[in-house]
Amino acid sequence: MPVAPPDGDTNTAEATASRPVHRLPFWVNQRLGLLVLIVSLSALFGVLRPAFLDERLVLFPLLRDISTLTVVALAQMVVLSVGHMNLAVGRMAAFGALFAGFGYDRLGLPLPLGLLLCLFAGAAIGALTGWIITRTGVSSFVVTLAMDFALLGLVSLLYSALTENAAFTTKPSGLAELRSYSLADICVGPVCGSPAVPQLAQFTVLALLGLGFLYACTRIGRELLLTGANPAAAELSGIPTGRRVILAHTLSGLLAALAGFMAAVSTGTFRASIGDDFMLPSFLGAVLGGTLLTGGVVSVLGVLLGTSLVGVIRKGLDLLGVGLESLNIYLGCVLLLALSADRVRTVLSYRKVVRST
Amino acid sequence: MRLRTRSLLPGVVAAAVLAVGSTACTIKNSDEPAGGQVPTTARAGSGTAELADGSATKVALVPGGAHPYFQPWKTAGADARKTYRLGDVTFDETAEWDQQKQNNLLSTLAARGYNAFGVFGVSPTDINTTFADLKSQGFAVASLGSCPAGTTNEADFCLSTDVELAAYKAAKAAIDAMGGKGKIVHVTGNNVDANTQLRIKGVARAVKESGGKVQLLQTVTDIDKDLQTAQKAVSDLLAAKGKQIQGIVSTAYNPAVAAADAVRSSGSQAKVVAIDDDAKILSSIKQGTVTATVVQNPVGQAEVGAWALALLQTKQCTMRTPGQSVDSGSFVVTKDNITTYDSARQTKTDQLKKQFADEVLACS
Repeated sequence: MPVAPPDGDTNTAEATASRPVHRLPFWVNQRLGLLVLIVSLSALFGVLRPAFLDERLVLFPLLRDISTLTVVALAQMVVLSVGHMNLAVGRMAAFGALFAGFGYDRLGLPLPLGLLLCLFAGAAIGALTGWIITRTGVSSFVVTLAMDFALLGLVSLLYSALTENAAFTTKPSGLAELRSYSLADICVGPVCGSPAVPQLAQFTVLALLGLGFLYACTRIGRELLLTGANPAAAELSGIPTGRRVILAHTLSGLLAALAGFMAAVSTGTFRASIGDDFMLPSFLGAVLGGTLLTGGVVSVLGVLLGTSLVGVIRKGLDLLGVGLESLNIYLGCVLLLALSADRVRTVLSYRKVVRST
Repeated sequence: MRLRTRSLLPGVVAAAVLAVGSTACTIKNSDEPAGGQVPTTARAGSGTAELADGSATKVALVPGGAHPYFQPWKTAGADARKTYRLGDVTFDETAEWDQQKQNNLLSTLAARGYNAFGVFGVSPTDINTTFADLKSQGFAVASLGSCPAGTTNEADFCLSTDVELAAYKAAKAAIDAMGGKGKIVHVTGNNVDANTQLRIKGVARAVKESGGKVQLLQTVTDIDKDLQTAQKAVSDLLAAKGKQIQGIVSTAYNPAVAAADAVRSSGSQAKVVAIDDDAKILSSIKQGTVTATVVQNPVGQAEVGAWALALLQTKQCTMRTPGQSVDSGSFVVTKDNITTYDSARQTKTDQLKKQFADEVLACS
């Protein structure tokens, strides 16, 4: 669902309908392209290695991975929507997870309260980042880079001071179930869900729905996009751009912390190295899905599809037994092809539209 | 205001997800065993730990990521496959030092038919969860090269260097070379790793035993990422405190190579004790710029590990004490024994095999 800022046209549907609109053909849709690519690659891998469709051993871990990385990419997408970036996305995840671990280990909190504490810590650090950016006017690149270093030190220091093995290993009740349960554990009478879909994905679905609603249906969502598309125009239109920037960074921190919690749940403990590898996938998922690096255009569904594409390629290559040296080369080539195919589609469709007018 | 959101795509995706979800629904069956594999009855063995038939055993040796330390696993694994006639032995280093990627890799290998796993866990505090997962699916699992943090081990066994003991030995060797007094520094890897904490403890124990004659000047962590980081850290350290330092103990690979280089080029008198037997370190020992190195036994880990895993996977043997930890050995190598240490290591590997057969495994 690509969401762009409104045209500034207050005469709504009728005015738009009366204008001749050259809609691009449906096959130009980047999301559709991604979906087709994901399905065909899955089918290809499934044919080459039937084990690819093994629900328990392949699809379940694949979907659990995609769930976590989608939330990471959403955290990046939110700041990209206001034309900023968050280089500290991984450390914010580690920061949030630190609080959850602390809550379980030292305060004896139950699972949901620890999650809330984690989300609160993430939102707070995100809000602080946003506040620094708006108050100082320094670019988000610099501020989040500085925040990344600050949190790297702080998180390591706190783990070393608070724990013996640099990790909180206390597991509250329900954590193991959250980690390993799938829809097969939810039954209506004798019929249960698919064992391929992890229950951890509920957080991703909630995040996707929440952000989809925010950007597509609310005034604040549109204001976020306008702030990203043209901050000066947004400011002149009476949008409190400073507050919108803080909101975007707060949401980004919150989502990063949620991803940190999910990563901790899926590996087992709350440790400092959570989020180490989050930064690149966060941009990859968002940009592949059609979110603009310059701000103003986001695609919530695209983030899910972009992340899924990378996950499917990696898993498929793993199953084919591709070695470390070749794996990243293949991954790079396939992603380049995916992006080029998108460009080719766009160029072809524009020619078609031009010819038809 | 107009939003360009009128797309069929969300509907298409939702329909696809629902379709997949509904076709993949399962029917609950309470008689189904929780694990994937039904336990078989114990094979009637000969009463020894001779592997009867390992052709159905496919062993995967999975390090935490690419690192020179694990390279001997590749050849040792291939040799074990031939020697014990195993179905297959693979070496996969694509975990990229990320626990989640390693977990995914292990399940992918399981889907590819591997049924016995020798794993060097990326995160010592998380790896027990991974081991428990693999065990619950009926696979034989060994923790190779590093044991899980804490007191429990969910794998069948752990065969690794006792890292605290190895660090203690290294510090002792440095202190001896310094004449029993002076100031030492300890250079090592990732601070937020349980094994690094053990190494720090080992060095501290050796320093404490000197009764105050030796002082630990500084512990420099997080410099095992790559050689460049280590080189910079070590040269900074020598520039700042070079005159005070009489001994450098390195308990990680890259800092060891960097310390050997730095001492050679700066003409420092510090006694360096390194880790592992990289060619550079061995030549430095011959030249005298490195006093000693503590070598580990990765070949023994892979060879004995693959063999014991096959015995467990075929149900020919079981563990006497599930989760038992066995030290794969560490050896102090100096100028005097540089030509003979490899035979000592081979002897240790043979001893390990005997130890497994006599004390660790219970074979029917």
